[in-house]
Amino acid sequence: MPRDTGLPPGTLMMVVLRVLSRQPLHGYAIAQTIRQLSGDELSVEEGSLYPALQKLLIKGWVKGSWRESDSGRQVREYRITASGRRQLEEEVAEYRRMSSAIDVLLKEA
Amino acid sequence: MGIIGEWLRRLGFLLRRRAMEDDLRREMEAHRAMMADPRGFGNTLRLRDEARDAWGWRWLETLAQDTRFAWRTLRRSPGFTLTAIITLAFGIGVNIGMLRVVNGLLLRPLYERPEQILEVYARSTTPDGGARGLSYPNYLDLREGTQTVFADLAASSFLFVGVDAGDGPRRAMALAVTANYFEVLGGRLALGRPFVPSEVRPGADARLAIISHRLWQQRGADPTIIGRPVRINGDPFTVVGVAAEGFTGTSIPGPEVWLPLGADDRLSARDSHELAVIGRVRADVPVENVGPALATSARRLEQAFPDANGGFTLTASPPSRLLFMPGSGSAITALLAILLMVMPAIVLLVACLNLADLLLARGHIRRQELAIRSSLGGGRWRITRQLLTEGMLLAFAGAAAGTVLSSWATDAVMASIRPVLPVALSLPALDIDWRVIAGTVGFSMAASLVFGAWPAWSLTSRAVVSDLKRHIGEEGRQPGGIRIGKALVVCQVALSLLLLATGGLFLMSAISAASAQPGFDLDGGVLAEVDASLAGYGETRGRQLQLALVDRLRAVPGVEAASIGSSFPFNGFGDSRLVAPASGADAQSRSVDAVFAVVGRDYARVLGLPLLTGRDFSDAEMLPGSAERVAIVDDALAQRLGVGTNAVGQLIQFLDEEASDAKQSLRVIGVVPTINHSLGNARPFPHVYVPLGQRYESAMTLHIRTSGTVAERTMLGTVGRVIRDVDPRAPVLRLTTWRDHLDTGIEVLMFRTGARVFSAFGVIALLLAVIGVYGVKSYVVSRRTREFGIRIATGAQPRALLWQVLREGSRTTAIGIGIGLLLAVGAGQFLQGMLYGVRSVEPLVLAGAPLILFAASLLASFIPAVRATRVDPTVALRSE
Repeated sequence: MPRDTGLPPGTLMMVVLRVLSRQPLHGYAIAQTIRQLSGDELSVEEGSLYPALQKLLIKGWVKGSWRESDSGRQVREYRITASGRRQLEEEVAEYRRMSSAIDVLLKEA
Repeated sequence: MGIIGEWLRRLGFLLRRRAMEDDLRREMEAHRAMMADPRGFGNTLRLRDEARDAWGWRWLETLAQDTRFAWRTLRRSPGFTLTAIITLAFGIGVNIGMLRVVNGLLLRPLYERPEQILEVYARSTTPDGGARGLSYPNYLDLREGTQTVFADLAASSFLFVGVDAGDGPRRAMALAVTANYFEVLGGRLALGRPFVPSEVRPGADARLAIISHRLWQQRGADPTIIGRPVRINGDPFTVVGVAAEGFTGTSIPGPEVWLPLGADDRLSARDSHELAVIGRVRADVPVENVGPALATSARRLEQAFPDANGGFTLTASPPSRLLFMPGSGSAITALLAILLMVMPAIVLLVACLNLADLLLARGHIRRQELAIRSSLGGGRWRITRQLLTEGMLLAFAGAAAGTVLSSWATDAVMASIRPVLPVALSLPALDIDWRVIAGTVGFSMAASLVFGAWPAWSLTSRAVVSDLKRHIGEEGRQPGGIRIGKALVVCQVALSLLLLATGGLFLMSAISAASAQPGFDLDGGVLAEVDASLAGYGETRGRQLQLALVDRLRAVPGVEAASIGSSFPFNGFGDSRLVAPASGADAQSRSVDAVFAVVGRDYARVLGLPLLTGRDFSDAEMLPGSAERVAIVDDALAQRLGVGTNAVGQLIQFLDEEASDAKQSLRVIGVVPTINHSLGNARPFPHVYVPLGQRYESAMTLHIRTSGTVAERTMLGTVGRVIRDVDPRAPVLRLTTWRDHLDTGIEVLMFRTGARVFSAFGVIALLLAVIGVYGVKSYVVSRRTREFGIRIATGAQPRALLWQVLREGSRTTAIGIGIGLLLAVGAGQFLQGMLYGVRSVEPLVLAGAPLILFAASLLASFIPAVRATRVDPTVALRSE
């Protein structure tokens, strides 16, 4: 089932971690934040978001806890962990390295 | 840490999966509720499934699901399930049984870290020089001088002793050892302590013994046995220890008792090279360093003691594993293990082919089910996996049943071997260890793949979907399915025939071994084996006892003749000598290998053999120190030596005697007819007999022939009484009739064991064939109920239908039998060396085995065929 998220492959987890590094959020808010911060350029489908969140939980990069939202609804809020922050730094550095390499390549060619 | 943490979390998700799934459901519902358009949220169930995949337990869930489903499916058709499990129980059971034997005898390490243990021995430096052991002084020097490579060296010496466990003495294997023997091998004691150095020193004469676990158990596993006496060679020895269960030293079979090395009286001499030396290589030293270190030590020993050590160097190799097969290093044992495993593997293959057949037949019934599942979105791989899980479940159930079956079988085989072994010895415990368990799981997995994979794959092929559109009753005859089914049947019949024919060959060999003619009349003969040394008697007392026994037996009423000899035909063990003319330049090249026996007067007469020429031994020659050394030869030896009828008066010599007095020439005084000594020989083996006075053997067999007025059985009791009368301490090892001796002897037994094992394989193959044919025929008949119904309704004769069903597939069977015959002939050639009195192309077997197989499969198809004729046309037609 191809789902066009507008995100380059393999970057979803990094983006989610980045969003969570600002503040803890629940699933719906994560999707909203990604869309807003990217100026409606990037959208995340639920079908990709929840598997990614489960993977982040398994990896121990985020923790989930239930709380009552402002609108009085029970939501699961995800909070980035210390190892999640380290992972984010690594992935961001790696991504920067790759994209600048591709930039150089595109300019030279 | 990272990866472990991740797995722990994963496991947590698995264990609390209900709560985790609930969390997912709740958060997705919340998400959906928050959306402006909730319909934009995808299929919740599917999204949850996909999110769950991130946990990485999908495979386990699938497996659990498949297993549950398989369990239900199998329970719904108990007939099929039972057939499959029985088939697999036989197939896997024989493999587990053989694996346990092979593992116990050939694979299981006998001692700790076996790769570090080497046997050190001396090798002559001449090109084709022989090998020998070490003397005790050499052992001590070597132990001192090789500390850089060996952690320690232990020495041992092998001997036979008489062990009296309270029911009279028995001959048993013993090992005289140094104090560190158990420590070097890492062999623990179940009770007590090992020997200490002061007890094993030469001349220490410590009457102590460590007994095997088996001997201890025979004596009632008395926990207070330490400190109690056990009689060895007539003397009381104090038990100081009991070896751990299954410990046999470096080889199989192991000794019954271990004695302090000091018990061996040849120890102190530098030139008595009798000891077997084993060493444990230091953990920090590579094994390659041992050779050079030993060579250096050998040179030093040769320089210091040129007389005793000249011309020999020292070398090391892993100890032989099988005592009766010197040089049975790892390569040979591996080869033997493979050979022993081939036949059971074929049995398993036949079982699998059978089951594949059955599954295929059953699969046709299930086509509709499979078609529905695949049209509902079940992928091919997914459905195949489910069918494989079903096969796996069957295989493990079969393996469980097979394990039970194999325990009975191996216990029965071992129990039948033990009582007739000529000496008491410790065979290894045929335990179920990790190798056997791994093998069992391996057999089951391999089996389920062989019988399950192919039917599963072929049943899930694309064409199946179209089955849904067709009516169940119509498909039956899909050309592809039937053809491959036939190939299966051909393989199965061919292999079954191979097993059956091999079983037949071994059976015939056992029968002809049992009816082998020794070359003399067995009726009316009784024998008693007496070993004077086991009562602690030396040569003088031993000789007195032997002569007294023969004298007294001759006087017993009903005894026609009595004599004594150092061996009896078909004993399994035989002494032999290289016999050559005493004069002439090329003695070596004219030498003949002959069975050697020390005998009393009247020996030929007892056996019922006439003297061809010359005279019998005299009474004077029964005593040591008579004037001339004499011998009686048989006509085979006379012919082979080229002296023919002029043998009497010729001088002969024994080339392989070491002692100088035994090298003196002997004058031939008589010639007797040749008798068979062993089953293994194609033609009669030559014999040479020397009189009692010329050589002392402590273990002798009394030969008695009754006059025919007294029954053999009555005579057995009389002989036993007479021996006790002459000397109550005389150890009688065996008392039996000649015929029983032959029937239960070790040689006949070996052929019998072979026959039992291989004919069991044959019978199992036959059984499997019957089950297979029955299953497939039943299926075919049930598929064609409608056809038979119509034919009966239109007036077909039941007899014609019966014949048709019986005849169908007979061509396939015939092709299978043809191929099987070729295989059987090949197997016959290959097994020739293991068979007795059977030609490799044995008409009786090659005609009989196919006939039996054919009759059995005909019988198996009979019930389904009869069922076909009983189809009620109205019922058959209505059922559509």
